[in-house]
Amino acid sequence: MRNKIRNFLNNGDLGRFRFWLQLSLFILFVYGGYAAINMGDSLPTFSCTYVDGKPGTCFLVPLQHRMVTTPEKLFSYAGMAILTGLFYFTLWFLVFNKAWCGYACPLGAIQDWITALRKKLGMQYVTYSWEQFKVLKKIKYILLLLLIFIPMGIGSGIFSYDMGVPFCMICPARTILPIFSGDFSQLTIDFSSKTKMIMTSLGMLITGIFLVGAFVKKRFFCFFCPMSALHYLLSKPALLKLKKDGSKCTKCGDCYSVCDMQIKEIADDVESRNILQDDCIMCFKCVAACPEEGALEVDFMGQPVFEATVQGYIKRMEKANKNG
Amino acid sequence: MDNELQAEKKSVPFNRTHQAIEAERMLRRIKDDFSDNPDAMDYFYDLYEQVYCKGESLHKEEKVVGTMCVQVPEELIYAAGGVPVRLCNGFYTDDQVGAEFMPAKSCSLVKATLGMLDKGSTLPFVDKVENIILPATCDQKRKAGAMISEMGYEVYDMEVPPVKESEEARLYWRRSVHNFAVSLKKITGKKITKANLKDALAKVAAAQKAYRTLHVLRKESPSIFLGKDAFMVTNAYFFDKIENWTAAVNRLNAELEQRKEKKITAAQRRAPRILFTGSPAIFPNLKLPVLIEESGGVIVADETCSSNRMLYDMVAVDEYNTENMVASIADNYLKPCTCPIFTRNDDRKRKLLNMAKDFAVDGVVYQSFSGCQVYQMEHSSIAKALQAEGIPMLFVESDYSPDDMGQLSTRIEAFIESLKAKRRRKR
Repeated sequence: MRNKIRNFLNNGDLGRFRFWLQLSLFILFVYGGYAAINMGDSLPTFSCTYVDGKPGTCFLVPLQHRMVTTPEKLFSYAGMAILTGLFYFTLWFLVFNKAWCGYACPLGAIQDWITALRKKLGMQYVTYSWEQFKVLKKIKYILLLLLIFIPMGIGSGIFSYDMGVPFCMICPARTILPIFSGDFSQLTIDFSSKTKMIMTSLGMLITGIFLVGAFVKKRFFCFFCPMSALHYLLSKPALLKLKKDGSKCTKCGDCYSVCDMQIKEIADDVESRNILQDDCIMCFKCVAACPEEGALEVDFMGQPVFEATVQGYIKRMEKANKNG
Repeated sequence: MDNELQAEKKSVPFNRTHQAIEAERMLRRIKDDFSDNPDAMDYFYDLYEQVYCKGESLHKEEKVVGTMCVQVPEELIYAAGGVPVRLCNGFYTDDQVGAEFMPAKSCSLVKATLGMLDKGSTLPFVDKVENIILPATCDQKRKAGAMISEMGYEVYDMEVPPVKESEEARLYWRRSVHNFAVSLKKITGKKITKANLKDALAKVAAAQKAYRTLHVLRKESPSIFLGKDAFMVTNAYFFDKIENWTAAVNRLNAELEQRKEKKITAAQRRAPRILFTGSPAIFPNLKLPVLIEESGGVIVADETCSSNRMLYDMVAVDEYNTENMVASIADNYLKPCTCPIFTRNDDRKRKLLNMAKDFAVDGVVYQSFSGCQVYQMEHSSIAKALQAEGIPMLFVESDYSPDDMGQLSTRIEAFIESLKAKRRRKR
């Protein structure tokens, strides 16, 4: 019985499973609120607070709000509020790890749909060179630091209150996701103050870059996402894990070929057991494309839930060759 | 070649040439010295007979593209409408002819390939080969290119990076493969398109799937399939029509599946299980594998470019457009390649250790052709890696000449005996 279930999972069509799960979770994170679902305000994904029907709020929103405080308060009650938020965030996160990115994030889903559209049009995608990759991957950490320090700067009077929730102002989720509930109001430039004008203009600009970027580069935005950076800092103890057995790896590079995030370590690193990298979105396409028995596997609390097998690999590849 | 010699060659029917006799002798040994060969092996025995003993051409209507190493992406050749035929040759007769091109202490395989190409007219299956793709792998193959050009063939020098771990190497090789894909149009007259490349990928993947199934069946203990036959199967992939080959391997797999159920074994329960590595065993130079199995061992797996390295690693593609397919193919021909021409051999060590574990191997036989410096130079590091895991290894330096048979059989027998003794001690 156990083996039967395992075979069923390992032979499964991961792409299809992922598509439907992403679509369902997209509906949840954009319309769930209308069904009176409340998931709190510490979600580790872009359940955007500007969306009318949100079932909960992206953790980056309360984080930026609560950081607007003075250092004295930060080390007393304000600090407590941040820590409680972080606690709930961590709880959510620890269960699914970065699979929040690959399966749950509504902005991630939109990028995958844009990719599907490009694929339909038969257009080639672009990739970064290794040099570009190494520089660009640092941006998400810089954004994470900024979204913590700018609010602290506001609290200390260095920046104006118009700089509030600075990351949300430039986040494409704020401008794009509300559209799905018919709200186009975020697609405007706020002229009420100079700061607001600059921030909202920047937001509009980044939205444009996002749409073009996602069209030419797979998961374009995830590369710069500060949520992804925050995830990675907490990912070590998470229950869902991406594991590699380097002794079984032939370095054939199939996993790297299918990786949306251009993660080289997945193919080249034969030492690490926990192969999760900071850019990983845990979509597990690599596991589906690995032809070595057990070289890559997805574990939940030490139990393998999806493992690389020759049989599963061949099934999926034959199907992909037929449909692709 | 002087005209007199050429005239004489033409007048001798192929089945009476030295090559045909050499092939015949090995084929008999492989077929008749072993009892109870799988019925599905007849396809392969007949194929060798047809090609090497009778000299019949297999690809009369096709554009044959000769390849000189395992690094040539065959998917691209199929896509461009050609048929890749691997020219690496195993005939001692050709080795002697080829000796005039190379220094005395050179690799038999390279000399035999040169000898085969030089004779031109008596080539069995490659009678129409004009174009030869030569990846710049080892020194001897590299230098053979100019000589082959002089014989009148069109040689395409395919650049291979000497280091394979770096990003530079990946990009360099991807460019090299891309250029090759473009150049193929000049060779076959057909452009590679998305559709024909996809078909080619599927064709090769089907062959690899059949190979993988066979590979897994060889894990059975006691063994249900002998290594000498496995080498015949994979070696046939060098020149056979790919669809026929795949169908024949699938039939063989089905028969082995039945034998497994009926518990018909190919070797004794206590036969030492051997992993074969190093210089490739290419028909009719199968003397070492045959000796191993005549001495009571059984080859359960191999790590050579005439077999596992050629067929094992499969290409996965994310988006089926030409550029991605070519890039994925390129990576697959470089990154997992355990050819000793590259600077490091960590991948080879890892692969051998993993195979030894996976196939419950008792010992490793490492064949190195005399004159194959790269395999000789990797000898000590491989020996050390295996020793650390307690796996005995026999290093055999040999060439295509039959002179060392007596000495070899003594060494092989002693090695097999020592493995048996070790097994007994363990129990």
